Amino acid sequence: MEMKIGYKDSAGPGQGNKGMSFWPVYLCFIIFGGIVPFTRAEVKITTALLSVLMALVMGVLAVKLLIMLLNAANRPLQQALQGFAREAVATGMLFMIPFTVLAVLARFGLGWDAVMPFASAAITTAAASAGTEAMKKGAQGIKNVIIPSLVALVLSTGWMMLVGILP
Amino acid sequence: METAATAAVPAWKTALNMIINPGEVVKTQMGKVPWPYSLVVSGLSFTLFFLQTGLDMLRSGQIEISGVVLMTMLGLFYGTAGVALIAIMVWAMAQAGERDIAMSWAISSFALGYSATLVYALTGLVFSLAFGWKTAVAFGVTGVLWALRPNLFTIRQMSGERVAFSIAMTTLCGAILLVGWSLLGRFAG
Repeated sequence: MEMKIGYKDSAGPGQGNKGMSFWPVYLCFIIFGGIVPFTRAEVKITTALLSVLMALVMGVLAVKLLIMLLNAANRPLQQALQGFAREAVATGMLFMIPFTVLAVLARFGLGWDAVMPFASAAITTAAASAGTEAMKKGAQGIKNVIIPSLVALVLSTGWMMLVGILP
Repeated sequence: METAATAAVPAWKTALNMIINPGEVVKTQMGKVPWPYSLVVSGLSFTLFFLQTGLDMLRSGQIEISGVVLMTMLGLFYGTAGVALIAIMVWAMAQAGERDIAMSWAISSFALGYSATLVYALTGLVFSLAFGWKTAVAFGVTGVLWALRPNLFTIRQMSGERVAFSIAMTTLCGAILLVGWSLLGRFAG
């Protein structure tokens, strides 16, 4: 079978993305957490550590919640195609990468202090993309985009509020 | 295949759908939206975004009224010619022509992606004029970020669902727009 590098499902049908890992997603969250202290007047190591930890917790929470909700909303598909939600979330959440790169560019290249709008757009876009990926795998209905978007909205709002009370 | 119901969707509804479910719009509805209409959306979005940038700079004493007018005109140019050029660049790099995707489709889909930017720009302008807030970054940049999602779907469609390519090109497009906006702001100042 011909392999097309860079194409989704390039390994061919059935071979899927079982080995797909979430490390790029968690790395994006860690980078967002790492940038936050640099938006303050003074960079403190305590703020940095707490911010990275908080971002990582948000990342794990986002991934786990999205997988759980996509599975719960598509029970028949979950029984027919185990691991579809995990694969959908792993692929969809990769779309945090452009926002993460742009946030780094904005802070360190352009000197802007705004990081959380990038993080918020990143989570919402990635979550909605995860829903779209699930639909490509056979999940039915717009709920697969709406539910992840709402989860992302709640998580990003909570994250922004927590960032506001960092020492 | 497009259904009759899909074909009957008015252009303004397609623009709103582009905010909510861009994946579906890119796949099924974009063929019905003429590219000049889409460029009006992106042109207006960037005109209002740059107007707010000008107003922010006016309030901080960096420019005069004539500078605000210049910024607004630059926004119009950026949102029409700039967006069209970026769309053509991505269309060429994705070799979308080989997949029977027309250049006009690419321009139209890219430009209509800025529907969310238009909503943010309009809201920001209200806050800017009514309360005197500085809204260019809070509303303008945020609006541009929200346009990356439809752009992402457009690039995926053009590139034949290449995930890595789509991520790289979306990043490049976002960087061009943000750096360009920043440089134009300095130029006008």
